[in-house]
Amino acid sequence: MIAYVALFRTSARTVLAYRMAFWLGVLGGILPLVALFAIWGAMLGGGRTLGGLDWPQMRAYLLVTFGTGALVAAYGDFRMANRILDGRVALDLVKPVDFQRSRFAEALGGVGMELLSVALVAAGWVLISGPVLVPHGVQAALFAASLISLVPLKFAIMYLTCTLCFYTQNYVGLFWARETISALLSGALVPIALLPAWLQAISALLPFASVVSTPALIYVGAASGTTAVRLIAVQVLWTAVLWFGARLAWRFAIRRLTVHGG
Amino acid sequence: MGEISRILWIYRRGLGAHVRSMMEYEADFWLLVLAGLLQQLVGLAFLGAVFAQVPALRGWTFPEAVLLYGFASFVFGLAPLLFDGLWRTAWLVNQGELDYALVRPYPVMLQVSGSYVGMQGFGDVTVAACMIGWALVRVDVAWSPLTVLIGLILLASAAAVRISILAASTAVAFWLHAPHSGFAMAINQMGTLARYPLTIYGLAVRGVLTLLVPFAFTAFFPVSWLLDPGRNWWAALVTPVVAGACVVTGVRIYHRGVRRYESAGH
Repeated sequence: MIAYVALFRTSARTVLAYRMAFWLGVLGGILPLVALFAIWGAMLGGGRTLGGLDWPQMRAYLLVTFGTGALVAAYGDFRMANRILDGRVALDLVKPVDFQRSRFAEALGGVGMELLSVALVAAGWVLISGPVLVPHGVQAALFAASLISLVPLKFAIMYLTCTLCFYTQNYVGLFWARETISALLSGALVPIALLPAWLQAISALLPFASVVSTPALIYVGAASGTTAVRLIAVQVLWTAVLWFGARLAWRFAIRRLTVHGG
Repeated sequence: MGEISRILWIYRRGLGAHVRSMMEYEADFWLLVLAGLLQQLVGLAFLGAVFAQVPALRGWTFPEAVLLYGFASFVFGLAPLLFDGLWRTAWLVNQGELDYALVRPYPVMLQVSGSYVGMQGFGDVTVAACMIGWALVRVDVAWSPLTVLIGLILLASAAAVRISILAASTAVAFWLHAPHSGFAMAINQMGTLARYPLTIYGLAVRGVLTLLVPFAFTAFFPVSWLLDPGRNWWAALVTPVVAGACVVTGVRIYHRGVRRYESAGH
């Protein structure tokens, strides 16, 4: 356990050491949000609703999708991918710690700063464009639960993509393919209810919606009561499937490892 | 003239060599091309979902918005195809690895910019060209040889603006010394705003995109001219001028940066 705490701490300190880069990354993440705000604002003016969301709900929805996008991102899949690609993973394999848990500890190390950055951006946003919806009582608790369960889920998705590096021997393509598919099917660009039926069907078969759409819908109150509980259960189920699926995939992928040099 | 054609020839050779080395990782190559394709299709799906709900967005119809989106994506796709090496600037400065480039008899900026090819650009440009084609059949443009000529000039100007912003923003690494281009990434994310009609934004965002980081000239003003040359005649005049100014500024900032380069690493 101590080993994982050490990894957690190192990772948290790395984020602090490259503060400038971290904050610029946050800044870069806000800009697409400006475009989404402008477009949905133009569409939802005059009290219209789309997919069951009105403009105040949509504003909150977009802000939550920004937040979920910023979480578990600072650690960076590229760091893990590079370990695999340049062969340093061989050293990890002889260390008496579990590879998957170690990477998870590192990912958690960044979450604190990420939560802080999301809170600051949200506060700034409220200052500039007025108050945002806030859930109360049970709904707030449900939102907190969905937010907590998205952390291991998002990590598991990232980890599983990195494992594929053993086969492609490069990561850029994998990264972009995953980011693109997830942008559409997670509800980050458009609430899933507004997608064509066939895309909704595909989205329902994949874990991406659990990372973005679930917490956002619960936050704005579009999913409540048993619906919300069911969505959170789906999150937990996906986390379990992907966490153990990744273990299995790792066992196969590791056989493909060839380390040259020395 | 001979000098310029020599430079272009070497540049093409450099890019070719890199494409060959990328083909070594064949699975990743195809994934990147596919990712580029997908990314544009996702953008299109987003526009489709928006226009399934409203007939026009601040006066822009669906085909017009697709034309704007396609134009912007085409211009943005050219950057990874031809100048993606600029993104390596930060790493080269941080590691002190620019020495090689300094001793060769060839512009340093071009050596860096031509040292990498972003394969997703192939996908970007292909889908963007299809979007432009699809939209041009559906929008009302008064075609004449002059329209085509000015249109091509505007396309070239838009690309020049885009690449100059990229060069200037990545050159900031010469001052920041960080190993990655966080600043450049933030600036270039701003470009995603330029894919939608500028009129949907507030005054502040419009001002930034027109005067400060002129992404508005990478798509909005050229396409506005094409759709309504009568009312936007000035856009055809201003865009090439802005492009010229951007190229001069971008190259100058990059060279000023190179002169600060210390080779020691950071």
